[in-house]
Amino acid sequence: MTDEMIMEAVKNGDLQQASLLFERYHKRIFNFLARMTMDRTVAEDLTQNVFVRLLKYRNSYREGARFQSWIYQVARNIFSDHYQDVKNQRRGFIDVEKIEGIMADSDDTVMMDEREELLHKSLARLDPDQRELLILTRFQHMKYEEVASIMDTTVANVKVRVHRAIGKLREYYFEMERI
Amino acid sequence: MDREKLEALLIDYIDGNLSPEERAMVEQEYLKSNKDAYRLYEQLKEVIQVMNRASQFEPSTRLRTDFDKVLQTEIAGNERGKTVWFTPAFYRVAATVALIAVAGAVGFLLNEQRQHAAQLAAAQEEILKTKKQMMDLLNNQSSASQRLMGATVAYNDIAHADADIIKVLIRTMNDDENSNVRLAAIEALAKFNDQPHVRQALISALSTQKDPVVQIALIRLLVDMRAKGLKKELEQITTDDSLLPAVKDEAHAGLLKLS
Repeated sequence: MTDEMIMEAVKNGDLQQASLLFERYHKRIFNFLARMTMDRTVAEDLTQNVFVRLLKYRNSYREGARFQSWIYQVARNIFSDHYQDVKNQRRGFIDVEKIEGIMADSDDTVMMDEREELLHKSLARLDPDQRELLILTRFQHMKYEEVASIMDTTVANVKVRVHRAIGKLREYYFEMERI
Repeated sequence: MDREKLEALLIDYIDGNLSPEERAMVEQEYLKSNKDAYRLYEQLKEVIQVMNRASQFEPSTRLRTDFDKVLQTEIAGNERGKTVWFTPAFYRVAATVALIAVAGAVGFLLNEQRQHAAQLAAAQEEILKTKKQMMDLLNNQSSASQRLMGATVAYNDIAHADADIIKVLIRTMNDDENSNVRLAAIEALAKFNDQPHVRQALISALSTQKDPVVQIALIRLLVDMRAKGLKKELEQITTDDSLLPAVKDEAHAGLLKLS
């Protein structure tokens, strides 16, 4: 069954089906938000909010719309609310030096190597728009077409912005490598 | 070629997005003969490769258990909503309620005073327990999902809200950092809209809530209630350029309904 068919069923009142969508998407959404916030606990809360919104606003899902684009749009809105809240409270958004500790988890069997750690520190220095583009296209391996659909823009625009973001990331990465 | 264009070309080369002719051109003109371009290529390749093979993070099991709880609560709420408002079962429920009321009245006449008092005390205790559970959940500052459940308990299980409950719900609606919790608090407050200060708090929230989803939910709710003083607020919203068009549209639609 496609994601879209399941979401239609949820919209028509078969709420139990939402657990299938949770199954298919929660890790991807969590990884997206974990890299956006660089904070596992916050990312889990925000992921939870994405699925709560899916349930509460199931009626706003338009028939025929691509489910993946819709749920990522919800996740982006939730991140954006969180980002604004953090900014308004004037808390430091991401402390680059603390990233290793925040991202590492005692349950993780995979240890991040030094390069990956450096990558995350550089990623944290990018502005959220650039970070988001790289997370979607490089870490989550989405096609430019899919990202353009989520962001409601053109493929050419996504491509140019991804190239710029990689250029900026390279700059930060080798700048920090020298330290 | 400027640096940005060169970077774009090299990224396309690394991603394998170039034709054989273009690849040959890049190799000939940049990689073989231009040391700086080669260094740039090596560096871009490294960051791209590290991104491609970055490890995935695993969420904790809490995420799933919390989601299951929310889903079950939502399903229960949905069923309840259907029963009361949208199906003929409403009449059956009404008949049952009437029957229970009659039975209760007969019981009242027949039972001894002491037994009656004991029942009342038990019911009172049950109400207090629910209220405490709701307050504890809503006051849990470390977990948004717990607070969300608190607001859901207020919506589903509290029939008559006292001043304490209203106070904590208004505070949640105004100050909670999580928009889903704020929304749930609004839904719960809507249930108690027969209290004038609840309506007033909902109207005031229109100008303080910044999340468009919350703003739209509030407008719909207040329009349905035909709340006093709402027109002025809605007119203000329609002229506020800082708001999303969808919010302004909702305010326009609300004004039309009220006119």
